[in-house]
Amino acid sequence: MEMTDQIEATAREIGDRVRPQIEDAKRRLTSLNDKAIDYIKENPGTCLVGAVALGFLIGKIARRV
Amino acid sequence: MQSQEKNPPNGRAAENDGVHTIGQRVDRVSDSAQEAWTQTRGAFSDLTDAIDIKGRVKRRPYGSVAAALGLGYVIGGGIFTPLTSRIVRLGLRIGVRLALVPLLKDQIAGLATVLADGDSGAGRGTGKGHKAAK
Repeated sequence: MEMTDQIEATAREIGDRVRPQIEDAKRRLTSLNDKAIDYIKENPGTCLVGAVALGFLIGKIARRV
Repeated sequence: MQSQEKNPPNGRAAENDGVHTIGQRVDRVSDSAQEAWTQTRGAFSDLTDAIDIKGRVKRRPYGSVAAALGLGYVIGGGIFTPLTSRIVRLGLRIGVRLALVPLLKDQIAGLATVLADGDSGAGRGTGKGHKAAK
């Protein structure tokens, strides 16, 4: 019984310690995603041309390998 | 002299005519080039409106970029490569799993229900048979 309580307390402690970090990472990823979407919406031509160029390069590399 | 000024020598007249013709030609070429440029711009803007690239990008930013990436990949000649076959195989595997697993689950659940019903029905039947035999 004591062992179970101890394990439960440890798990809770780890959860409490990790949760803020996960929340922070989630917030950062959301912000990055929003920034990327905004950038693509503001510069559609640049992004599309860049993506085509990148795809072209990947295709060339894939062809050689 | 006056007559010469009024009626310049043939060579000079021809030269003037030539300059005038060249000027006209330049104007005509310029006009036609401008017209062609206007038409090209109009056609391009019509095409852009028809495709609605900006709208598509605004609606699906990541999808548009992925499509552009795929287009570049195809243009770059990467379509018949081992990398493509690997990607396709992986996609097929994931797709089959996503499509088949729920289907199989449903089928197995249905089969299990049928089997359970059959067992309970058979059990009742044998019970009655036993009773009758007794």
